[in-house]
Amino acid sequence: MATKEEVYSKIKSVLMDEFEVEEEAISMEANLFTDLELDSLDAIDLMVTLDKELGIEIKTEEMQDLRTIEDVCNFVLSSIPADE
Amino acid sequence: MRRVVITGVGLNSPLGNSYDELYESLKAQKSGIEYVPEWEIIKDLGTKVAGRVKNVDLKAIPRKFRRSMGRVAQLAAVSTGQAIADANLTPEMLGSKRCGLAFGSTMGGNETMFEYMPEVQEKMSFRGQNSMAFLKMMSHTVAANLAQMFEIKGRNLPTCSACTSSSQGIGAGYESVKYGMSDIMVCGGAEEHHYLSAGVFDVMAAASTKHADEPHLSSKPFDEARDGLVVSEGSGALVLEELEHALARGAKIYGEIIGYGTSCDGAHITTPSREGMQQVMETSLEDAKLKPEDIEYINAHATATARGDIAESHATHAIFGSLTPVSSTKGHMGHLLGGCGVVESVICLIALNESLLPKTMNFKTLDKECAPINVLGENTEKDVNIVMNNNFAFGGINTSLIFKKYQA
Repeated sequence: MATKEEVYSKIKSVLMDEFEVEEEAISMEANLFTDLELDSLDAIDLMVTLDKELGIEIKTEEMQDLRTIEDVCNFVLSSIPADE
Repeated sequence: MRRVVITGVGLNSPLGNSYDELYESLKAQKSGIEYVPEWEIIKDLGTKVAGRVKNVDLKAIPRKFRRSMGRVAQLAAVSTGQAIADANLTPEMLGSKRCGLAFGSTMGGNETMFEYMPEVQEKMSFRGQNSMAFLKMMSHTVAANLAQMFEIKGRNLPTCSACTSSSQGIGAGYESVKYGMSDIMVCGGAEEHHYLSAGVFDVMAAASTKHADEPHLSSKPFDEARDGLVVSEGSGALVLEELEHALARGAKIYGEIIGYGTSCDGAHITTPSREGMQQVMETSLEDAKLKPEDIEYINAHATATARGDIAESHATHAIFGSLTPVSSTKGHMGHLLGGCGVVESVICLIALNESLLPKTMNFKTLDKECAPINVLGENTEKDVNIVMNNNFAFGGINTSLIFKKYQA
């Protein structure tokens, strides 16, 4: 079972490597759309990348309400099966 | 009648990344063709030479726009940015409904397609595929992406017709301005380097295979020793503008487009028809209300294939005889496919403005099956006023553009 810190660290590296977001812009509170200037397609691709990198199954159809990086962390954590 | 002038030029080619660089390369008789070592691992691929675009910073395109662009659209974006800056177009002009775009390429992003499809097919699943792949591969990826990036909101005409993609783009832009649908059209085309393009011509025995050791000798348009075309990459963009609109804002004018024809042979899917080629040149002359003797230089399509060069020479000879200077600049840089029409149009502007009629690289002896046209074997300095650019594509698509030195 991954910790929230581990998931955050993975999200941070994906945002920097794949989405070219500056490190200093990333925090738990940062809003994906208003602070990081991503859009809905980026949000899907962020999830697809996390899905691949973390080896989990994220149901992108359930992710409409994600706004902050903390929301993403929590959503990813909730997607990880309890027995892992 | 509304007149159509060119007020901006941008390009990325194996012979340089601007009008000036292209001019200097032509003047210095440089070759842009090189050996491609990466292609050695491809079984049975005979051709191992290509012209590639160098020294261009594609990462300078903001990620917001780059995310949905393959290399083909990225090259087009850099060229288009250059043309728009050159023309000094403001965001207000670009965003007006009177400003449109006509741009094409043979393929969307080949590199993306080759990454995407095998994974999907192997797993029979789209899981793990990001949302951008399709946007990089789709046939109108160049026109769609350019419109987003430069916020061009008028008519958008994707002209995806293989080797006439960019000449049809220019033609569509010319007609849009001439017939009053737009005041400004951003036009052109692009192609990215990929072994798919080389392989397609290779299996048809149309690609050059004999000169991997001396790449600069590989493309020999019209020459009896030619052994096929060299598949290259490149992009270019022209800003076309209605004359009064350009004059009112004091724009620099590179030249005027005064004639355009496009047609289809309607005959064979790949074998070119000399009748079709002749017809399109005649249509362009009629549009410009010119006689054949008014044309002072012709930039030929001549890719250095056996059939294409012969058919084109006969079509050209039937109209222009043996005196009009003709050259194919594919000897210098190979065949830019979707990018060739626009880069060769820029070469026509160089002929008009710099009085340089470029030679046909590697041309020594006209193939005896060609008609006796006046193929330039040396760079020629000559003041010319009216020139023609011809391009032909698979599917029998033909285009002929006529450019004139700007006179008030």
